Amino acid sequence: MNYLALIIALVFLFSIQTTFLRIVFPGNVVPDLILIVAVYSGIHLKKNRGVWLAALVGFLQDCLSGALLGVNFLSKGLVGLFFCSIKDKIIVQGILPIGFFIFVASVVDGMIYFMSMVSLLGGQVKVDFLFSSIILFGVCNAVIAPSLFYMFDKVRQWLHSKFPTQLLKSI
Amino acid sequence: MPYRRSQGKYFVSFLVGIFMLSLVLMTVNARYDKVNLFFESMVVWFFSPVQSFFTTATDSITDVFDHYFFLVRTSSENGRLLNELDRLSKKNNELLERNKFLERSANLTEFIDEDERPFVVAKVIGYGATQWSKVIFINRGTDDNVEKNLSVVTDAGVVGHVIHASLKSSKVLLITDSRSAVDSLFQETRKSGITVGTGDDICEMKFVPISAKVSVGDNVVSSGLGGVFPKGLMVGTVVGVVKQDHELFQNIRVATSVDLSNVEEVIVLLSKQEGG
Repeated sequence: MNYLALIIALVFLFSIQTTFLRIVFPGNVVPDLILIVAVYSGIHLKKNRGVWLAALVGFLQDCLSGALLGVNFLSKGLVGLFFCSIKDKIIVQGILPIGFFIFVASVVDGMIYFMSMVSLLGGQVKVDFLFSSIILFGVCNAVIAPSLFYMFDKVRQWLHSKFPTQLLKSI
Repeated sequence: MPYRRSQGKYFVSFLVGIFMLSLVLMTVNARYDKVNLFFESMVVWFFSPVQSFFTTATDSITDVFDHYFFLVRTSSENGRLLNELDRLSKKNNELLERNKFLERSANLTEFIDEDERPFVVAKVIGYGATQWSKVIFINRGTDDNVEKNLSVVTDAGVVGHVIHASLKSSKVLLITDSRSAVDSLFQETRKSGITVGTGDDICEMKFVPISAKVSVGDNVVSSGLGGVFPKGLMVGTVVGVVKQDHELFQNIRVATSVDLSNVEEVIVLLSKQEGG
């Protein structure tokens, strides 16, 4: 049941990311729900499951974008690993801490993408555009992340109450 | 202390694992660039019906808001007129191109390329999963003879080209993506250059000599070189020109002729042998 719930949640999130969000955010800055999932799973999933989930969603994002395969796998995997390794030392609750850490993760994600783009694919990116878009991207993610974290918490609580024996063991 | 050491070991092994796997993926992607990768096709195939469903649902809701609640009839009328304007612009562009072509080849009357290329109309069912790459998904795939490197256009001009085709859907790299490049020329002066994406909404035209006469409002069309886009397709309009004496080339900004943030249907130009 837990895997089924996870698959449904991922399909839903990717579908929202690739359809609905572009209509709600018609400009160049679109929030990255997948990055927020990577951070959330790194912080909240038990043991090292967060790293695997973050890398998996990164891989799916690679397949569903025009990027070189492996770029989002790398950035999301690193973000998941970073938060998984420091989750016992930090408290990521409340609007400001969540916003701050998501902003940092967004900057890392954007930098990895552009570095791979320029170094491996020979794309040309202007520095001013790069920095302005990464900062806007980070702010956009930071603004919507607290509400998404809250929603994920509620879903987890609901799943725990409905399927306590199966889910509590694994998540 | 042992706990911390084992945690450190985990961290290092995961870090190495992530780097190695991503390296493998990138290498596979680069090595097999000309073919569709199986797992990528599977993911695209799996998500395309869901994307279609979400797009249809979103379109329906947007349509209700646009056409009913806000502007009961004006919006529909405006949409129709804009379509008509697009059609007439395209016709005008075609006539201008034909005129130029005839002027240049008046004494070569035995050959005029009619370019009766087969095509399929496709619906946009989704966008790229990250904001950094400018990609759209369309609901036509290899079942409809769509394949990699085919050009994708609308009435208004060039949209992009297919970078991945699965059975029922395909991925299209937009011309605004920073990896995209279209060999182009100015419609009036016939000076050539390369229109490249910047990742922003505006493209840039590179390698136009400093001596070339370019002004804001000039139309840019595809040159037909490069093997992806047929000749004479509208690419965009010049919106900014910067000339600096110490540089060899001009810095030219080009607004795409197609509003790429709001594309609903596109035309995929098939290769001639496939269309019969």
